[in-house]
Amino acid sequence: MACDPGAVWDLVSDSSRIVEWFPGMEQVTVEGSTRTITLRSGLPLIEEVVNVDHRLRRFQYRIVGPLPVSFHLGTIDVLDDPVGCLVVYSTEISLDPMGFVIDGATAAALAELQAVAEATVTAIPASDGSH
Amino acid sequence: MGRKILLVTTDQMRYDAIGANGGTIARTPVIDALAAEGIAYDRASPQNVVCMPSRATIVTGQHVGHHGVWMNGVPLPVDSPDVAAVLSAAGYRTALIGKSHFEPLLDPFLRFDENRLAAEGRTGPNRGFDHMELATHGAVGSNHYAASMRAEHPEALGGFFQVLGRDLEVSGEGGGDTGAPQVKLNPIERGWYHTDWVADRTIAWLDSLDDDADWFCWMSFPDPHHPWDPPASERSRVDWHDLDLPDGYVADPATREAILDDRGRQWKLWYDGTRVSNYEAPAKWVPATLTPDQVREVNALTHVENELIDEAVGRVIGRIGERGWGADLDVVFTTDHGEFQGDFGLLFKGPYHVDSLMRLPLVWRPAPSAGPTPARVARPVGLVDLAPTFCAIAGVPVPDWMDGRPLPIDDADADARGFERVLTEWDSRQPDGTEVHLRTITRDGWVCTTYRAGTMHDGTEGELFDLVHDPLQRVNRWGDPAVAGLRADLLSDLADHLIESPMTLRVEAPV
Repeated sequence: MACDPGAVWDLVSDSSRIVEWFPGMEQVTVEGSTRTITLRSGLPLIEEVVNVDHRLRRFQYRIVGPLPVSFHLGTIDVLDDPVGCLVVYSTEISLDPMGFVIDGATAAALAELQAVAEATVTAIPASDGSH
Repeated sequence: MGRKILLVTTDQMRYDAIGANGGTIARTPVIDALAAEGIAYDRASPQNVVCMPSRATIVTGQHVGHHGVWMNGVPLPVDSPDVAAVLSAAGYRTALIGKSHFEPLLDPFLRFDENRLAAEGRTGPNRGFDHMELATHGAVGSNHYAASMRAEHPEALGGFFQVLGRDLEVSGEGGGDTGAPQVKLNPIERGWYHTDWVADRTIAWLDSLDDDADWFCWMSFPDPHHPWDPPASERSRVDWHDLDLPDGYVADPATREAILDDRGRQWKLWYDGTRVSNYEAPAKWVPATLTPDQVREVNALTHVENELIDEAVGRVIGRIGERGWGADLDVVFTTDHGEFQGDFGLLFKGPYHVDSLMRLPLVWRPAPSAGPTPARVARPVGLVDLAPTFCAIAGVPVPDWMDGRPLPIDDADADARGFERVLTEWDSRQPDGTEVHLRTITRDGWVCTTYRAGTMHDGTEGELFDLVHDPLQRVNRWGDPAVAGLRADLLSDLADHLIESPMTLRVEAPV
């Protein structure tokens, strides 16, 4: 992403801002480490934020209900990159029917995160005017 | 004014479901009359035997390799070309009413516009359709039928079979008189059932059009796809106790298992309950437990659903006649793929390229004003040929991006235009890593399937059936030296005409 990694990390690491970049998430409330999201369909999605590492810029969370997922761990890493930052969004998930759904939604979210970040957060000045 | 086009599709219907094709149980006088007045196709095949790829083929006129929807759960890209857009550009009003399934149904994030339509109170436009009112199998999900049922008849919601369990796996719970999977006594009033709803909404849309409008309407019934839960008031139309077992059912278990053993492993592994290769088949149901009476009951309910569809089609055609459009009305009746319905001791569908799933009812009743000559066509055609046919009816050039050709009007026309073969594909990649890939050619009275390398096959296996002398496809002649030359020729022909599927589009949901 052609933007400042610190600014992207600010967006990702703030649990309450997920509705700004994850398609299909309409509302969010955060209480402690529990994030409760209302999906566009009206269904709730409850997540547990398990790790926010500002040094590594790593955000990790689990889906804990009520979608039927036996195991889930989502990890977002915001890494330095010569032209801005590299965001790696990985999901470990059990072999449940929701796996395909989460996979597709995550891919869409990563694309939207890039679009939102590049439109709103601090852009990396082009050092040689080439990017 | 031009010709009006009514495309009627069912979901998961067999060739022998209608009287015009030899069906003797369900009374389908409306569809039979269309066949008698028009053209009935005796060897019509889908290009894929599950909903989403097949429906993508219907709307685009493309093989899987071009539209890209290689398995259920892969959405048809929103920028894909489609025949409705072609007709709309030619001045046609366009609608799809009923089941679309170009995009995944399981969509809790409502990422797909089809699923947002009802939630946002919209009826289109979507793709090339000015108007879309959607339904699926029951009053569930984000679609117009479910929304109307929730608003107007909430007391009836519980009458439907609940297809998905709490774990979102497809339920194999038994019901009815025999405990057959996905059967339920549904006390819903007939007029509230989705079959009549689809007809009602189609009539409402037609009534919204000016008398001089040209239009293309895809009326898409969710039935007779499982679950089998038609209105209880209609069940007495066909008493399952009275039904003979289907010809395709192999009564002796030892014989049945020997037949299954003589083909790809995906057959027997599913039969035994070891491996399900298609999400839509209940995950925990074991086909080997299917009893003869369960086969009878599922068949009876299917026939009931087919009768309701026939009557609904009759109502719509009647209204079209009242509007004064009858002489200019083309009707195409077909389905997206077939159903085992007890053949080989199986129900539902999956990676099994036999007539149960691949031989479809297809009827084209051209507009009476065009002076059609009734015919039956034996040559192979495919659902890929529907979209080009609609273009031809409308007098619009068939776009280069369509793979099919306008349907032949008789065998002589088919021969003149080279309708020699039809191809069908299957690809699946399940979350557990199971991969199955089939490529099939139907030609010269034979159906030949090669299993490409996957997790169940090593790429050397396949099936070869003689449709003339073995119409029930009991004897797999893939390894028969007497037909080795024929097999090689068919495989060569398949390779020459296959449009390779890149399988690059993401699977976004299990269905």
